[in-house]
Amino acid sequence: MHRNLKLLLIIVLFTALPAGAQEAPYFVTYDHHLEEPGNLEVETSTTMGVPRSGQRFYFAPYAEFEYGVTGRWTSELYLEGQSTSGDSAVFTGWRLENRFRPLAREHWINPVLYLECEGINEATRIQKEVVGNAPDFGERNSESSQTHAHELETKLILSSTVHDWNLAENFIVEKNLSQNEGLEFGYALGVSRPLATLASAASCRFCRENFNLGVELYGGLGSTRGFGLHDTAHYLAPVVAWQLSDNASLRFSPAIGLTHESNPALLRFGYSYEVRGFGDKLAKFFGGKP
Amino acid sequence: MTRKMSAGWMVLLVPFAAALWAQNADYQPDPGWQAPPQAVAKQNPLANRPAAAAGGKKLFARNCAECHGEEGSGLVKKSSADLQLPIVQTQSDGALFWKITNGNPDRGMPSFSRLPELQRWQLVLHLRTLQPARPPQ
Repeated sequence: MHRNLKLLLIIVLFTALPAGAQEAPYFVTYDHHLEEPGNLEVETSTTMGVPRSGQRFYFAPYAEFEYGVTGRWTSELYLEGQSTSGDSAVFTGWRLENRFRPLAREHWINPVLYLECEGINEATRIQKEVVGNAPDFGERNSESSQTHAHELETKLILSSTVHDWNLAENFIVEKNLSQNEGLEFGYALGVSRPLATLASAASCRFCRENFNLGVELYGGLGSTRGFGLHDTAHYLAPVVAWQLSDNASLRFSPAIGLTHESNPALLRFGYSYEVRGFGDKLAKFFGGKP
Repeated sequence: MTRKMSAGWMVLLVPFAAALWAQNADYQPDPGWQAPPQAVAKQNPLANRPAAAAGGKKLFARNCAECHGEEGSGLVKKSSADLQLPIVQTQSDGALFWKITNGNPDRGMPSFSRLPELQRWQLVLHLRTLQPARPPQ
């Protein structure tokens, strides 16, 4: 069975057909575009935190498996970890998210409903969303990784396409089911555009059409115990995505902390690879009907 | 003479039958998937730039060929449209653009609004170049 799984992985990686995954370059903000049905996107990303004095440099990688269940439902699994300089490396948990698109057609504003279950610990640093008040990153991993949290997170994603610009707004509500912290709030805003809007005839790697630039703004808005900007972290982050090939892309974002409670800077890197027709391939492998 | 005629018919019919077998001849369009009148009336801004169709071909191979086939003739297993059929080709540029933009997610056709507007028009240009591989009548 183990051999079969290896074989499956090899088949999937080397028989993947090209996919035109020209996606928004955001790391935190979501737009209204879902994964195509049957496609699997495998992504590995990293959040690196540049600390203030008294804090330590950290490196938080995560893997992401995004699958298009139907044309209006995308499901995603995250596995995340963290390593802090002068401390240790720990596994910080998993997240399972689902995005649903209630409207079938494109509109001026396209809503997407987002629901995520998280089984993480307090050592998490990936900051896929920033909610509530600023977290304490001064605690050692041996202590923070012992505090487990089951969280439920919802987002209202609103996204528009205006003259090839994508405008996206996310409103976040998170509930820690393990502790009585009330509801925590956050936001993420993003705007992006491809560098060129006309496709050239030739296959090229460095064409302007392969680059997508944008900027994100995200942060916490406190909680039901104290709503507002007091003691919250906020970041302004230029983002760039480069379509390396038909099915692979690189993303980079240097985020600047806007408040004293934020890290001075966050550096984010991401590499994604899209496996087209994954559902069919998997069904075929197990003898089912594609 | 009769044998010669039969051989001639065979030469014509075999490729025709093969083309029919490869195409999704059973394709049934979704009657509810209709572009609104203002979208149907839209003109292709690249209509006078036929060279842009080459970029459309590249985009088609990336985004559409997986379900519609390299020649756009549709795939039976995907229940995807045969884009060479008159029922598709007689639609206006604006209607095709609207369908590419919005998709029909409940029938498996994703929205391609993530592509810039001009690239979607390039796809429409390329769709116009798709010709049925059928023998002349």
